[in-house]
Amino acid sequence: MGWVTTEHPTREELDACVQCGLCLPVCPTFRLTGRETASPRGRLHAMSAVGEGVVEVDEVFAGLLDFCLGCRACEPVCPGLVPYGRALEGARAEIAEQVPGRKRLRRWQTTTILGSRAALRLGSLGLRIGQKLGLLRLTPARYRRITSGLRKLGGRGQPTLGHAGGSGEAGTVGLLAGCVQDEWFRPVNRTAVTLLEMAGHRVEVPRSQTCCGALAAHDGKAGAAHVFAGQNEEAFERYDMVVATAAGCSAHLAGYEGLGSSAADITVAVARAIDDGRLPVSEVDRGEMVIQDPCHLRHAQRVVDEPRRILEAAGFRPVEIDPVALCCGAAGVYTMAQPEASETLGNQKADQVRSSGVTRVASANPGCEMQLRSHLGDDYEVAHPIEWYLAALEEDGRGDD
Amino acid sequence: MSYLEALRGALGEANVLEEPVELHLFSKDASLLRGQANVVVFPQDADQVSEVVKIAEAHKVPIVARGAGTGLTAGASPTEGGIVVVTTAIDSIEIDLENRSAWVGAGVINLDLSAAAAPHGLHFAPDPSSQSACTIGGNVANNSGGPHCLAEGSTTSHVLGLEVVLAGGEIVRLGGNAPDPIGLDLKGLIVGSEGTLGIVTKALVRLLPLDPDVRTMLLAFPTVESAATTVSQVISAGMVPAALELMDQRMVQAVENWLQAGLPVDAAAVLLAEVVGETEGVEAEAEIIADLGRANGATSVEVARDETHRATLWKGRKSAFGAIAQLAPDYYLHDAVVPRTRLVETMSAVYEIADRYDLTMLNVFHAGDGNLHPLVAFDASDPETNRKVHEAGDEIVAICLKNGGALSGEHGIGIEKRDMMRTTFTELDLDAQARLKEAVDPSGVFNPSKVLPAGSRCFDFGGVRRKELPEGVWV
Repeated sequence: MGWVTTEHPTREELDACVQCGLCLPVCPTFRLTGRETASPRGRLHAMSAVGEGVVEVDEVFAGLLDFCLGCRACEPVCPGLVPYGRALEGARAEIAEQVPGRKRLRRWQTTTILGSRAALRLGSLGLRIGQKLGLLRLTPARYRRITSGLRKLGGRGQPTLGHAGGSGEAGTVGLLAGCVQDEWFRPVNRTAVTLLEMAGHRVEVPRSQTCCGALAAHDGKAGAAHVFAGQNEEAFERYDMVVATAAGCSAHLAGYEGLGSSAADITVAVARAIDDGRLPVSEVDRGEMVIQDPCHLRHAQRVVDEPRRILEAAGFRPVEIDPVALCCGAAGVYTMAQPEASETLGNQKADQVRSSGVTRVASANPGCEMQLRSHLGDDYEVAHPIEWYLAALEEDGRGDD
Repeated sequence: MSYLEALRGALGEANVLEEPVELHLFSKDASLLRGQANVVVFPQDADQVSEVVKIAEAHKVPIVARGAGTGLTAGASPTEGGIVVVTTAIDSIEIDLENRSAWVGAGVINLDLSAAAAPHGLHFAPDPSSQSACTIGGNVANNSGGPHCLAEGSTTSHVLGLEVVLAGGEIVRLGGNAPDPIGLDLKGLIVGSEGTLGIVTKALVRLLPLDPDVRTMLLAFPTVESAATTVSQVISAGMVPAALELMDQRMVQAVENWLQAGLPVDAAAVLLAEVVGETEGVEAEAEIIADLGRANGATSVEVARDETHRATLWKGRKSAFGAIAQLAPDYYLHDAVVPRTRLVETMSAVYEIADRYDLTMLNVFHAGDGNLHPLVAFDASDPETNRKVHEAGDEIVAICLKNGGALSGEHGIGIEKRDMMRTTFTELDLDAQARLKEAVDPSGVFNPSKVLPAGSRCFDFGGVRRKELPEGVWV
């Protein structure tokens, strides 16, 4: 049957692979299994086979792609410049369309929950009560990595959605509040607003925005992802810079056709302000801090130096734990979809942190943060680099000048 | 009991793949030629490989060993069908510091071995361009080289011993740490045999000390000839640099497009040279190379600032083949070696052939040891182009041989170069090799139809008969 949607991986995208195999060693699932079927090259090969009519889009094909984390570590090492992330989204859209039993589930999860503030608030309230009463221990094993990795949900101040403030001499920033980000990671968003305003930006968090659509796109719900993208492009079209505080979201924004180069991760915006002297550098030595690279920051956006510069400006000495930055196994809904592989990768990452002997960790993506917290336990403190930075400034008494 | 049932029983269902899409992904390596696997297995140790061999022999089914599938001559392509034996699960590394050697599983990635040895100040010298992905098993099977084999020699110079599963499922250990083992050098027979004599499950490899100092430099030239001349002069000046690599303009441009490292894209050719040793020595040698380069018209001489810069330059060189994808969906490359003294004239002839056939030719190769990799970027789905690539390829090989060269420097023969074996060997040579194959692999199950062209022996190999190649495929 071949491809049936307009989203499918194109011949041009797939022909960009000459099967040299340089992606194999950086792929977490190839590393786990040693199998071509679990490698980027293998998955592209399978997609090509669908295009050639040799292979059907069926349960087996879906299984090959389900196992992919979507970490895109294969992209920066690919000399052929294969747009793997795009091809993967296209193939997943085909799976959602062609493989029975997958379509309804995806639509329900993505559009109804992520696209609706009310549903998110209600769900988060439930989690907050559960957390308070200690009921989250009772969650089914498959979801426990999520619940045990959550931050404390009480007393986090107001949501940032609807906020507008700041002088604007350094330009106007539209902040993507995110779907779960503004509920579960509200302090990150609030820190972003504070720092961007300190740096001379006017910051607005327009109410007309919605979920960035990354989770929908990664799960093959291309239609929903396009609707989300369209709504956001309209909500953010008049800003100098559009900033997201979750690496997964900023990576997806960077792929919007309508936003172009105005999309940026918060670490890029803050590092730029530090470099320009619009944000201060702490003189205090605060010791070592582990830096963990979210895949969608390092691999998908090639942002490596910025979070390190932010930590250095806060007086920390960044400690490297993984030269190739293998995925931690969080990968959106991967903890729930592929619990075994996710568990192994999470343990590996936690071991890397433990062997550093440092208990403070910086991570610029909510999924990674939860995975790290869940695997590391209470003796470790995990937060976004900009949170560590603002806390340092406040300690120095330079928090709100 | 079918051989599939037998394999499931011996290895467990989780280590046996049978779905059509799964088999499709193991039906080729990094070369162009596709075979068709009947089943793919992942043995965990030599005992399980032994079981697989016994089953294959009992059922007269071919077995094709595979590591990471980065080979360039279809050596791991199951062109006769059968069982693809993937060795990636055999991945132990036991370093013996006293003997400066290591027993390494066939499935260990080349660069992982050097990474494991680095804390002890050691490394594994053979460094194929695919070293971040390719496995030790594949290196042994193809006697792989790499840029640094100019000074250190190819894989065979670094293999001290082997654990091999032979016909009948017999597991043997050949060679060892002793400097001069008695008897015939049987491990030397296995190295480079491309899985046609047995399946290597472990190798005892030599580990060399890390170099005390290194200088890596990039020289840009206005012509390919001036770069090639520099190479010859460097060698005749009495030096053996650690590496001397040449890339032509098209190749540099494709790499730079991806790497964004400020490579000299305007130069007709660049030479990547590396010297290693004590600081004083490397500084003096680097100076000589720079002077020779300038004397030959080099427009720039850039010395790597630090380890990061050096790593970037090497990354560019070692990712070159993959970068060809930017020009065309397929590429075909030759691996011929010519004497260094004939490098300049051979290069000119090779470019002339490509021009005459109107083909996109790129060159990236180990200039120091005269190992050419002339490479044609093309679209294999066009039969007319296929024919031209074929004819041009034959001419390229012919000119290399005419200039005193050899068919393959380091990639192996596999299928892609198999039928050119006759250009190098006489009937008698081929018959001797075929007899050897027959003696070691009487049932003919080990990677049949590879390396030796059909009819090398006056009668066919044992149980497995050679099939005609699929339509549209050329070798």
